[in-house]
Amino acid sequence: MQNTSIIQPSPITYGHIAEPSKIGSVHGMAVALKFGNGDEESKRRQLIGIADISCLSRFGVKGPNAVQWLRAHKVDLPEERNSWVATSSGAVVLRLGNSEFLIEDSPTSSLAPSLASDPPKMFGVYTVRRSDASLVLSGSRVQELLAEVCTLDLSEKALGKNAVVMTQVAGISATVLRQSLNGETVYRLWCDGTYGTYMWHTLVEIAEELGGGAVGLSSYFKELA
Amino acid sequence: MKLINCPINGVRPVSEFVFGGELREMPDPDQCSDADWATYVHHRNGAPGLKKEWWYHAPSGTWFIAERNTMTEEIVRTYLFGQEEEK
Amino acid sequence: MSMRLPRSTGEWINRDKVIKFSFEGKDYTAFEGDTVSSALWAAGERALGRSFKYHRPRGVLSFANHDVNVMLTDGLDTNIRGDVVTIRDGQKFVAVNTDGGVRNDKNKYIDSISPLLPVGFYYKAFHTPRRMFPFWENIIRKAAGLGIVNFNFPRVTKRKLNRHCDLLVIGAGPAGLSAALVAAEAGLDVVVVDENQYAGGSLSYDRAGSGELATKLADLLSMVNRTPNIKLYTGAYAAGYYTDHLVPIVRADGITKVRAKSVIVASGAFEQPPVFRNNDLPGVMLGSAAQRMIHRYSTKPFDKGLVVTANDHGYRVALDLIEAGVKVLAVVDLRASGQNADLMSNVVRKGIAVHTGQCVYEAVPTEGKFGVKEAVVCPFDEATATVDTSKAVTIPCDGIAMSAGWAPAAALLYQAGTAMRYDYTVQQFVPAKLPAGVFAAGKVNGVFDLAQRVHDGARAANDVLRYLGKPAADVVVSEHAGAAPSHPYPVVPHPKAKNFVDFDEDLQLKDFINGAKEGFDNIELMKRFTTVGMGPSQGKHSNMNAIRILARIRGLPVEKIGTTTARPFFHPTPIGHLAGRGLHPHRLTPMHAWHEEAGAEFVEVGPWMRAAYYKKPGLSKAEIVQEEALAVRHAAGIIDGGSLGKFELQGPDASEFLNRFYTGIFSSQKIGETRYALMLDEAGVVVDDGVVSRLGLESFYVTVSTSNAAAVYREMQRCLQTWKLNVGLTNVTGAVGLINVAGPKARQIVAKTTSLDISDKAFPFGEIRETEVAGVPARIIRVGFVSDLAFEIHMAAGYARHVWDALLAAGKDEGLRPFGTDAQRLLRLEMGNHLVGHDTDGLTNPFEIGAEWAIKMAKGFFVGQRSLKIIAKRPLKKRLVPFVLDESYKGQMPQECNLVIEDGQIKGRTTSVSYSKSAGRVIGFAYVDPNQASPGSRFNIRTDSGVMVKATVVKAPFVSLQQGA
Repeated sequence: MQNTSIIQPSPITYGHIAEPSKIGSVHGMAVALKFGNGDEESKRRQLIGIADISCLSRFGVKGPNAVQWLRAHKVDLPEERNSWVATSSGAVVLRLGNSEFLIEDSPTSSLAPSLASDPPKMFGVYTVRRSDASLVLSGSRVQELLAEVCTLDLSEKALGKNAVVMTQVAGISATVLRQSLNGETVYRLWCDGTYGTYMWHTLVEIAEELGGGAVGLSSYFKELA
Repeated sequence: MKLINCPINGVRPVSEFVFGGELREMPDPDQCSDADWATYVHHRNGAPGLKKEWWYHAPSGTWFIAERNTMTEEIVRTYLFGQEEEK
Repeated sequence: MSMRLPRSTGEWINRDKVIKFSFEGKDYTAFEGDTVSSALWAAGERALGRSFKYHRPRGVLSFANHDVNVMLTDGLDTNIRGDVVTIRDGQKFVAVNTDGGVRNDKNKYIDSISPLLPVGFYYKAFHTPRRMFPFWENIIRKAAGLGIVNFNFPRVTKRKLNRHCDLLVIGAGPAGLSAALVAAEAGLDVVVVDENQYAGGSLSYDRAGSGELATKLADLLSMVNRTPNIKLYTGAYAAGYYTDHLVPIVRADGITKVRAKSVIVASGAFEQPPVFRNNDLPGVMLGSAAQRMIHRYSTKPFDKGLVVTANDHGYRVALDLIEAGVKVLAVVDLRASGQNADLMSNVVRKGIAVHTGQCVYEAVPTEGKFGVKEAVVCPFDEATATVDTSKAVTIPCDGIAMSAGWAPAAALLYQAGTAMRYDYTVQQFVPAKLPAGVFAAGKVNGVFDLAQRVHDGARAANDVLRYLGKPAADVVVSEHAGAAPSHPYPVVPHPKAKNFVDFDEDLQLKDFINGAKEGFDNIELMKRFTTVGMGPSQGKHSNMNAIRILARIRGLPVEKIGTTTARPFFHPTPIGHLAGRGLHPHRLTPMHAWHEEAGAEFVEVGPWMRAAYYKKPGLSKAEIVQEEALAVRHAAGIIDGGSLGKFELQGPDASEFLNRFYTGIFSSQKIGETRYALMLDEAGVVVDDGVVSRLGLESFYVTVSTSNAAAVYREMQRCLQTWKLNVGLTNVTGAVGLINVAGPKARQIVAKTTSLDISDKAFPFGEIRETEVAGVPARIIRVGFVSDLAFEIHMAAGYARHVWDALLAAGKDEGLRPFGTDAQRLLRLEMGNHLVGHDTDGLTNPFEIGAEWAIKMAKGFFVGQRSLKIIAKRPLKKRLVPFVLDESYKGQMPQECNLVIEDGQIKGRTTSVSYSKSAGRVIGFAYVDPNQASPGSRFNIRTDSGVMVKATVVKAPFVSLQQGA
């Protein structure tokens, strides 16, 4: 349950590398909406944009009967292990391995809170507490960034449209998928929130060398501008 | 760097894995002699050959068994514990 | 005197761009694309560096990227390879291995005393007396090594990238390019890498005086450039072969780690020098070096000179030299017969004398050994390698081009595990059995004819297609015809030696003979004794001759001698490339920013950054730690414990699982109760401890130590699988924040933030409550690790900072003070709590730490139980006890791990030692003889300086308790 009166900090501390020009509270979390002025930001974003979207609502569940439980709650599910689907409201449902799921809402959907309000009590289904740092990355040079931080081939050619990859990014465990967001190919990345600041700084440092850098949440989700 | 095929996540570099030691059959602790137990706990056969080993894919938290030829470094097959027959 | 030739097609220099540089203080000009070696040679310089051991002047030997005698510094980089690195405008170069410059090197005298320095001299001469060794070592170390490390080198990030492909082709010569084109045509994603600035391999230099090959190369390259699925890296080298086709490619600005599905090694062959006296003089160079100089850098190798050859390649070299305007005085051929008739007649038709069955007996140096004055040519019997000096003819000349044979550039093939065999038709080692997915083509595969090399590339590409399960054609490559490209023994003895085999390490023919006499007549031993192949070029020009010489010494065929494996990296690689970006992953707790602002000094604990203590101006670390600890003793302290491992277990088998995993009983545990959990391994060794809280009938919450958290979680996951229990296990280490408020005032502080009744009666020690703290859901545990009154508050990580701030506000007037891990360690010691992994080691059993109370042997199976049954039957060897030093003790402070000694016998060691202000003396833990474990016993600790200190066993805790306050 979220206490609506308390604003949580993002698991990512932006400082040191790039200071946001606008911070706003989204779903009870203070996140960077903008870095620098709009022109600079969109220029950066064309090459590589990295945004912190940790504020989106999230729900995790696992266990041998997780599929059954989610079906009972009318959640669209990926059929294959290590794959994902988007719901009609824009939430993403990731199947991590065979029997664990991560659901992350879009800014406007509310699947995660509704599932969390009635947590599983049945046999063989367990809530997984999440505190992810959640990022979105895109841009014309994003492959160069990914090639430096991940040994796997994450290019469009190699990474299936609905594939979920649990691998190491910049030396730590992370979950990655590729998505078409508003017609643009973006990568979504999750890692444990306690690694969030490290991950952010590492990725932004490399992105800046390649002409990109940190961008605000509203640069991907206009409705949150 | 060696590649290992995780039965759940596919082929990955060995840097994503943690070695979990040889898979050994535990003798019945109530029935076996002290000597048999000590052998189980402490004795490792270092002779090269086909070994069944525990490996752990860290990013996904997956334990599995790899049959590895320690002479040729070849991993013959991998499967989840207890699912050997299904392969 | 410029040696620069007129503009030619395919040259690697840009004549439109003139650049300036200096060498040894003198200014020169070069064209863009020139290497240091080519620019200096074009400017008429010959002596470009000094050799490693004897400090002899050296020029160009191979011009094939391993002329390590021309090593320079520009003041920034330490060892710049002269034949590789292209000059940037304004660079100022100095040769590295001189004392006073190349021309006036003060160490050149060493050459004249070289007979006094036989191989193995240093090993033997300075070995005894031992007390003198440090003195000699100092001198030898100064002489050894090449450049001087620049400690002010700026940090430049060299990026390490990953790349994937179907086929990696190493070497962009005719074989490699042919292979790439065939494979790409079949749809493979191909990466080609070549160490040279431009692709082409031998097509870019071995022309035999004809312009036809330049056109052929241009056609081939335009086809490659038009093929989108070929990525060509030039000026980058495949640095090594690692398991499952991982090949790092070293670029100027970083490393690309290529993971290929298959690899074709088409790396060609290194030309090998014939061995004769003074074959190292500047102006004596390999035939292919002369060709590279002519065709790549449009530079004349010398004005008038000889070609000494032991194969047909020398004739091609002669034709190229003639074409470049060199006056070729003669071709001297070690072979009596077997020459290629066409090549020979082409040379003869140009009016060049060919002397068969003759050798260059020695090159005679000019003053200072800076060049060649003349060559002495004698009849040579190639079967016995003997010279008839009675018929010596002296030919004045300023250069000698040498061609005697090749060695396969097979380093990566060896590293991949290829079995090689010696092929007598080409007198070369060739692959006999290649590992799966690795293929060889071209000269490295023993194929020398140009047309056949192109075929061999296509053949290898088809082998790759077949290996990848795609349709493939059969390509036939003809057997080698004619004389072998390599001579079996191109070695000319000379009584005055200086006939060099290894130019990196200044090894002469006699060094090998002496090495064998000393008994080092196995190739691996000889390598280490003589250091052949151990210089920066790793034997690229020397190992083959060394093998041939050793074979002759031992009277064995070459294949019986075997080869050595050149290890990665293929060329010297800067440390900065290996370092890359240098990622240091670390976890931060939600309060990290607060700790930073509060002046925390951080310490790495496992992957975590934790606050060790909070700096205060004017106070030392030790003083601060005592202050922080005293705050906990007298008022209250607050510590961020977010790094502790935290797991949730749910399900019908959860208590059974814990019963088996830990030594205690959890099935009888009451809801709301916590229990100490001791984890053993199968051998009964203590590996971790923690706290298990029962939240519900089927719901448990476990906290474990920070540094073992990941390993304990893994082990829990594995046990769940093997025991087939129905438990939902989740790792909430990062998802849950943890704050510990400890000290006599902890209760009144925490009470301000929660509506829960936390009085001792309502919430006694060892219990857990689920409630709200500062308005957010939280679990509170009554713990007693650092103080007998303490509250551990667990809440969602996102709310941890909010709760932290609320607690600080609540404790503002109560003397609440943050404390770090240093004070925490002291506090737990004062409480008499041991730390697993600190006070225990990889052999400690629970009886040794007095943990019998935590072990329920009577319950069913648990990990380690069976071993404990065996251990329990044996006498206890040592026991961990709390001890104090005498209050008056003022001597040397015992350190952790100092030995406990009784009657000259080691009985144990100290594991924790600290001064405690609260206890007013030095306190600690030590392993002692079980007979000395009772309170009041005295034992001896030997300090670092050897002083024995008396310690007294006491009863923990070391501080008086408030008993729940």
